[in-house]
Amino acid sequence: MAPPAASARYPSPSQPSGKSEVTDLKSQLRQLAGSRAPGVDDSKRDLFKKVISYMTIGIDVSSVFGEMVMCSATSDIVLKKMCYLYVGNYAKGNPDLSLLTINFLQRDCKDEDPMIRGLALRSLCSLRVPNLVEYLLGPLGSGLKDNNSYVRTIAVTGVLKLYHISASTCIDAEFPATLKSLMLHDSDAQVVANCLAALQEIWSLEASHSEEACREKESLLSKPLIYYFLNRIKEFNEWAQCLILELAVKYVPSDSNDIFDIMNLLEDRLQHANGAVVLATVKVFLQLTLSMTDVHQQVYERIKSPLLTLVSSGSPEQSYAILSHLHLLVVRAPFIFASDYKHFYCQYNEPSYVKKLKLEMLTAIANESNTYEIVTELCEYAANVDIEIARESIRAVGKIALQQYDVNAIVDRLLQFLEMEKDYVTAETLVLVKDLLRKHPQWSHDCISVVGGISSKNIQEPKAKAALIWMLGEYAQDMSDAPYILENLIENWEEEHSAEVRLHLLTAAMKCFFKRAPETQKALGIALAAGIADFHQDVHDRALFYYRVLQHDVHVAERVVSPPQQAVSAFADTQSSEIKDRIFDEFNSLSVIYQKPSYMFTDKEHRGPFEFSDEIGNIPITPETSSDIVPAQQYEANDKDLLLSTDEKDDNKGLSSNNGSAYTAPYENSNISSQMQELAISGPATSATTTQSSFDFDDLLGLGLTAAPAPTPSPPLLKLNPRASLDPRAFQQKWRQLPISLTQEFSVNPQGIAALTVPQSLIKHMQSHSIHCIASGGQAPNFKFFFFAQKEAEPSDYLTECIINSSSAKAQIKVKADEQSTSQAFATVFETALSKFGMP
Amino acid sequence: MLQCIFLLSDSGEVMLEKQLTGHRVDRSICDWFWDQADSFKSLPVIASPTHYLFQMVRDGITFLACTQVEMPPLMAIEFLCRVADVLSDYLGGLNEDLIKDNFIIVYELLDEMIDNGFPLTTEPNILREMIAPPNLVSKMLSVVTGNASNVSDTLPSGAGSCVPWRPTDPKYSSNEVYVDLVEEMDAIVNRDGELVKCEIYGQVQMSSQLTGFPDLTLSFANPSVLEDMRFHPCVRFRPWESHQVLSFVPPDGQFKLMSYRVKKLKNTPLYVKPQITSDSGTCRVSVLVGIRSDPGKTIESITLSFQIPHCVSSADLSSNHGTVTILSNKTCTWTIGRIPSDKTPCLSGTLALETGLERLHVNPTFKVGFKIMGIALSGLRIEKLDLKTIPPRLYKGFRAQTRAGEFDVRL
Repeated sequence: MAPPAASARYPSPSQPSGKSEVTDLKSQLRQLAGSRAPGVDDSKRDLFKKVISYMTIGIDVSSVFGEMVMCSATSDIVLKKMCYLYVGNYAKGNPDLSLLTINFLQRDCKDEDPMIRGLALRSLCSLRVPNLVEYLLGPLGSGLKDNNSYVRTIAVTGVLKLYHISASTCIDAEFPATLKSLMLHDSDAQVVANCLAALQEIWSLEASHSEEACREKESLLSKPLIYYFLNRIKEFNEWAQCLILELAVKYVPSDSNDIFDIMNLLEDRLQHANGAVVLATVKVFLQLTLSMTDVHQQVYERIKSPLLTLVSSGSPEQSYAILSHLHLLVVRAPFIFASDYKHFYCQYNEPSYVKKLKLEMLTAIANESNTYEIVTELCEYAANVDIEIARESIRAVGKIALQQYDVNAIVDRLLQFLEMEKDYVTAETLVLVKDLLRKHPQWSHDCISVVGGISSKNIQEPKAKAALIWMLGEYAQDMSDAPYILENLIENWEEEHSAEVRLHLLTAAMKCFFKRAPETQKALGIALAAGIADFHQDVHDRALFYYRVLQHDVHVAERVVSPPQQAVSAFADTQSSEIKDRIFDEFNSLSVIYQKPSYMFTDKEHRGPFEFSDEIGNIPITPETSSDIVPAQQYEANDKDLLLSTDEKDDNKGLSSNNGSAYTAPYENSNISSQMQELAISGPATSATTTQSSFDFDDLLGLGLTAAPAPTPSPPLLKLNPRASLDPRAFQQKWRQLPISLTQEFSVNPQGIAALTVPQSLIKHMQSHSIHCIASGGQAPNFKFFFFAQKEAEPSDYLTECIINSSSAKAQIKVKADEQSTSQAFATVFETALSKFGMP
Repeated sequence: MLQCIFLLSDSGEVMLEKQLTGHRVDRSICDWFWDQADSFKSLPVIASPTHYLFQMVRDGITFLACTQVEMPPLMAIEFLCRVADVLSDYLGGLNEDLIKDNFIIVYELLDEMIDNGFPLTTEPNILREMIAPPNLVSKMLSVVTGNASNVSDTLPSGAGSCVPWRPTDPKYSSNEVYVDLVEEMDAIVNRDGELVKCEIYGQVQMSSQLTGFPDLTLSFANPSVLEDMRFHPCVRFRPWESHQVLSFVPPDGQFKLMSYRVKKLKNTPLYVKPQITSDSGTCRVSVLVGIRSDPGKTIESITLSFQIPHCVSSADLSSNHGTVTILSNKTCTWTIGRIPSDKTPCLSGTLALETGLERLHVNPTFKVGFKIMGIALSGLRIEKLDLKTIPPRLYKGFRAQTRAGEFDVRL
């Protein structure tokens, strides 16, 4: 054990420097070793204590190993314990000396006192020296047969320790078989529990190369065994109950009676005093009922109360762990928790990690009935002493505003924030007002009048500054002094450190120029010149791009940079529903705390006993027979694999994460990317270049740059063929060949979810929008559809996989297209069609 | 499966290290832990580059557990809480000196509480039979008899009995059983003076010293007020389901029989009316405290504390009743005690803002403390406690008390 840096950093005066004290101890121990004088145990005890305290503070006392062993001949149990502790710590590093200890440990294993037998056996197994395993077999064998349950408990764990030192020795001695019979017949619950833990671990590890172990592992999940454990679960201590519940999660019930039997057996576990037991039970309930939508919902109702009680009863650490799990459930089924919003109000003394979780939950459960109260509460936090929480709560208000249809009251609140004149409140609010305007442009009048009154000098944070500049550009016509504010900012170009702000300045200057050319011309010239000279690559490129587009044709430039405003219908979610489902499968694990599925943060070897093979991809798909346009076709079994193949899913992960830009920063690139998209769409289609140039930009800007041709954008118009047809076989072939050109996620309105109880209705509905279904499948809450559509005039196909999760009301689509450039346009058509689903 | 547990002192010293599995966790993990930023470090579950860390801070001692494998996080945290409970029960409190003086006992306890990374026995009653607590009596005995072993000679038989929380056949000359209702009220009063949340979290605590194998039933006069309950494992589930009666064989000594939650309380017993007006760099503060709804018993130990905002350069606060103290960390505490009959307690004074500030932007939150003996504010009442077989010289006692939990009054 290396002396830790910690003790070096915090030296305590009592701490000995090391060497001399250890030598001193050594000689004292040697003196005592042979002595049989009365009272010798007391002196030994003092010495042992010293040795162990040195060990504890990190001084290497391994050199007294021999002396310690010599002194170990004693009947005093405390001395023995200290000795075991010492030996356990240093044996691994001193395999040769460890041999000395074997003798006395083996002797103690035969002691009259069961406590000593147990302790000695535990120490013997904890030596973990590979070449001493042969000495373990005897004591372990008799330990497993000991008539005292304490010894048996220790022996069972000892077998597991032996397995980790030398698997082959353990298997050859047929310990697993012994453990199995103990598990089934022993009268002591702790012995049974330890057997279960040991066998689970041994057989899982063996399963990879032994068929028999594989079978045994399966047999642990057999119905009689599961019921054997569940029926007597109350006899086990709380930790063993957790173990059994973990096992029950993996059990696949045979029918719904089975499910209800288990739930009845476990119902009272929800009222156990130990939170770990409650959470493990919740997991069993949730997993069992996944396939039964209405029961699943009742389970949510049933577990709500115990979880909320747990939150208020424990230490902050316990509350946090439970809140993390509640957070997951709340996000999955917000409507169930909507009436309990007061539980997520923050108390002043709570640590900020708890407050943050609560804020997110308040955001998630806000709906028509409780928004007013929640927003009122959140607004109180904006004046909180904790600045980070104040910021978070303003963001939460903004998120709620973006979720709601009726934002009237919220806009007023946001504007009140601006009047608080606190720099961080103003900064956060500006960002939100900007997002809000992108979604609800109709509020521009109210917002702009307030925003116009804010002095740009008071805003330092880049994000807020960028938001303000965006609004200046976008609403230049409504703010009388917009060009002059921009000019001011542009004049200080050199002092602006954030590239993001400079990028926005360029764009805003352009937009302002199109609206109020005479007033902005000069500022734009300075901005473009400064931008082209900028050392930041993006700024430089954008400036150059603007310059060239302007030079090419001002009207084209206007169409590119300042197209007619389009309201954003929904902002991309940070996490795909697939990942959320994955985390849900890993309920009651670290994944929930980190809000990431385990494959994202653990190495494969450390992934533990969790196995996840079930994905959405495994939803059974049935070919669509009701469609009257697509001729019904029978799929061959191997063809199915294609539709269900999971490898393309993995490809998508990269795509979807690129696509769904983080919620907090959608504006960073959304402006430019939407323009780029427009360009990209029209790019390949129309290659015509116009040669007329209305301005001489070199004169205007005083720069000597050569002109470059620029494409003319044209708005995408996608018409679909209402009578398109595609052979399912051809569909599969295409699906295999084409790359995914687009992955998107959007929410489905509640009426649509309600109508989805009859999945056929969606198929009919989409058909009325010229999008045809080729196959569908799944059960609540996950439905999967394959659609295709064809362009009106030309034989260009769009293939779409659409997964709709009815509990989160989210739809995820993957589009593959012959003409990839138009897939965005198709996705828009698709989303529009889907959004009308369920509407009268 | 936990791989290692460290006990760390305030200053970052490793007081104790307990390796649990073949994988040895190096102490350098603790250095990594201390080097993290506060906002990250305070999280109960942290991912370090090599291990997942669970931490629990109790009385300045950090309990740090490490693992590399996936496990239910709450299990780790619950276990650490249990370790802290047992240690503070054994050592009569938790602090650096106590742990350092008794580190052998701590090692012994951990040895029995967890084996190979999996929690084993955490029932205090059983542990106490295996390892004797270092109390004054045993110290005296060791001096007198010269036998300082703090380990009992016999193995706990409870470990094998079907009522794992109870030692077999304890004998007492006088049989006593006490039931305490202890309630905490959490409430939030918002800026407009509205009560937005008011909830009671309560516990039924028992202390039993009964001979033999007593079978108890405890019933409430009005169990319907209870919103949600959690029970000690000794409580039988069926009688509660059918008749709302608690039927159980109690552990020996002190334990928590059940905990419960009662929501939708209409009123707090006290009102607090804070007011702050700002005018060109100074704020006038006035806070009134009084009884809103009389609980029928005296409200005691009333306190009011709040954090004076950072932008305040000096504060001059005084009261017409009780004492006002302002600590160096700008926490102002007003100790009121009981509400006098002749006047309404009032805290008043001025706050001077830092130069350049016109008015106060940050609104403090007032935390209220109080205690009421002899009454459970939720209205829950114990009807009776019965024993199936009545032992000789039986004494039964009932008590109730309510205190403020998180009672926030916002401004």
